Amino acid sequence: MLSRSAQGLYWMGRYLERAAHLSRLMQLQVETLVDRPLREIHFGWNRVYSSMNQSPPAGTLEAFGSDDYALADSYTLADHLTFEPTNPDSIWNCFAYARENARQIRNYISAEMWLSLNTTFLRLQGLTIQEIWKTAPESFYAGTGKDVATFTGVAEATMYRDDGWHFIQLGRYIERVQLSASVLLAQIEAHDSQDESFDADWANLLHLFRAFDAYVHTYSVVVQPGQVLDLIVTDELLPGSVRRSLDAIASVLDAIGSGPSPDASEKAAALGASLCAAVRDCRNDVTAWRATLERVNGDSRKLHQQIMDAFIAYPLESLSER
Amino acid sequence: MDFDAYDLDSAFYDEMFLPDGTPRDHCRGLYESLLRLPVDELVRMQERVTHSFSSEGITFTVYGGEEAGERIMPVDCLPRILPADEWRHLEAGLAQRLKALNRFLSDIYGSAHIVEDGVVPVDLVRGCPQYRVEMRGVPVPHGTYVAVCGTDLVRTNEGFHVLEDNLRVPSGVSYMVANRKAVKANLRRLYRSCKVREVEQYGRLLRETLKELAPREENDPCVVLLTPGVYNAAFYEHIYLAHEIGATLVEGRDLLVDGGYVYMRTTSGLQRVDVIYRRVDDDFLDPLVFRPDSLLGLPGLMGVYRAGNVTLVNAPGTGVADDKSVYAYVPDMIRYYLAEEPLLRNVKTYICRRPEDFEYTLDNLRDLVVKRVGESGGYGMLVGPESTPDERDAYARELRENPADFISQPVLDLSRAPCLIEGRAAARHVDLRPFVLHGRETRIVPGAFCRVALREGSLVVNSSQGGGGKDVWVLGD
Repeated sequence: MLSRSAQGLYWMGRYLERAAHLSRLMQLQVETLVDRPLREIHFGWNRVYSSMNQSPPAGTLEAFGSDDYALADSYTLADHLTFEPTNPDSIWNCFAYARENARQIRNYISAEMWLSLNTTFLRLQGLTIQEIWKTAPESFYAGTGKDVATFTGVAEATMYRDDGWHFIQLGRYIERVQLSASVLLAQIEAHDSQDESFDADWANLLHLFRAFDAYVHTYSVVVQPGQVLDLIVTDELLPGSVRRSLDAIASVLDAIGSGPSPDASEKAAALGASLCAAVRDCRNDVTAWRATLERVNGDSRKLHQQIMDAFIAYPLESLSER
Repeated sequence: MDFDAYDLDSAFYDEMFLPDGTPRDHCRGLYESLLRLPVDELVRMQERVTHSFSSEGITFTVYGGEEAGERIMPVDCLPRILPADEWRHLEAGLAQRLKALNRFLSDIYGSAHIVEDGVVPVDLVRGCPQYRVEMRGVPVPHGTYVAVCGTDLVRTNEGFHVLEDNLRVPSGVSYMVANRKAVKANLRRLYRSCKVREVEQYGRLLRETLKELAPREENDPCVVLLTPGVYNAAFYEHIYLAHEIGATLVEGRDLLVDGGYVYMRTTSGLQRVDVIYRRVDDDFLDPLVFRPDSLLGLPGLMGVYRAGNVTLVNAPGTGVADDKSVYAYVPDMIRYYLAEEPLLRNVKTYICRRPEDFEYTLDNLRDLVVKRVGESGGYGMLVGPESTPDERDAYARELRENPADFISQPVLDLSRAPCLIEGRAAARHVDLRPFVLHGRETRIVPGAFCRVALREGSLVVNSSQGGGGKDVWVLGD
């Protein structure tokens, strides 16, 4: 397939995964505004921003002194993360970029996928924070998360499993791995740096990864940080675990096979495989989780570049056979 | 729905009604069905069609100003009907015209007999900005310079006239098919009873045409559609057509020239390209030959083309034949090359490079439509009767500066057709753009993109200027 189209599919996958992740984070964060202590709200906002590799806009989160202040800042931050046109990671921009990519590669995706994404885009077009803040903003974020889930389901049911499909999956899982690693590292850091009175809310983290029921089922109703990390990072059966995402990347790279630049595609496959092994073999303690997640965080970015080098922006002089 | 308040005016040919208000024979079925349909139902149908265009992303892009952005092509859901005999006449006239135009292009980029014989003035051809000296002596497959043509036809009380031959990158065919799909789904029973001829085969016919023009004998030549990109007004159409013809939709940056061939960059390496159905204007095709600042084309493309290793559809340089001044000579071309009388008539055209036509135009600005020869899409046009004295003065100044850039034509009493406007039937001016394909042979899909001037009294049908579309039903025998 055309390299630029593969790149478009890859980025569509990434943007939609980012939209879904941010929607879930926002849904949980907005829920905390109702009854959680200010300290926890403050931590929550910082976690959102660090998982997006961003800093909160200047002037916010500097003096969380009162409920009024916290809610006013929350309104500003929610707007920034949801609709702000200059924030490339805002939920609106993620959908707009995904739709813009999809529009250019419409012939590679199913008509149903396009319809699903375009319908979401049209629904969100023109919405403002004022409108969604009036009632229950968490239902808005639940809705955008569901939009991505619907799109994924439609794709699952209708898209031909060719390279186009594989590049969407690559984008989706690479984005998921990066976001997961960032949010987990932020959580570990908060856990390590706070006194015992602070509840970093590991149950909330389980909800973020849609892992609460699985946790209760596997461990107990008592939430232990080490067990949470074990489940979210290394579990083989949890759909959103880091391990499953890395396994998916490795098998997608295997399915795509060697590109026009075999050295580059082999490098990417090797890196993917070594990340899988690192997570699978990680020792069950917080220091090991941190080191592994830092590696995953850095190497998944490297992997992105290697995929680009192998299939999209490969050097032309390496092509001997045409 | 009733037609009690329908504004029938004998000054304009009405596509549905005779001057006495009775429906034309071929429209009787539609008329009676509409009488039976409650107007609310039609309004809902119109809304459904608009909604489906919106959610499917069937859009066009408007450039500049506050209105810039993606827009839905407004569709009027009442079809326009053409009877079989009328279509046969149009079909023959369109084929005749394209045949002569291809012969003209072959001639002027070859020995230029038509110029030598004094049928078309040499300065008109060579002085035309669309005349591409780079095309002189370049052989094109089967003598086909124009493989895709969208001819604008209008009807007056005197019959059909050709308003314009669009021979470069004519657009609108995707809306023809989209309008059909939407209207057919909503008027199923009527559609079936009318024995309407299909148009959905356009993509297949275009594919066959493009394959016939491939530079090498290949069962499955690699065909790509070259688009200027997502911001182009007709980008939706490019996506649609690429899908229909099974071509890869590429931009200039996806292509490269190496060793005398064109390749596209794919995830499995470079793939040779045989046919480029380009929707990029000549000026932007190759920065080494045409505009050096173009980022839309491919450096070196013309070299490959001239060597016969890739086919460009339409060929570069076809714009000289749809220049608004050269247009006036098409009937003479038909007589010259084919020794036939034109089946379709031209609109009387005053070519302002001729002193007498220039004077006439200046003296009658108020009654004429004045157009710039190099513009299309309704841009840069003066519609005399709708203009203000200030606009005419400003236009006259430009006209005096460069008379050769302008032509003028009498204001045509464009035919009207009933449209659903604000919940009632109202007459609006329409034109007709059928699409003609020519590879080894001519293929015409029995249908057209009918453009509608949705503003009351307006004669401007261009989508960029507030026009919409209508489905055209060509009836079978």
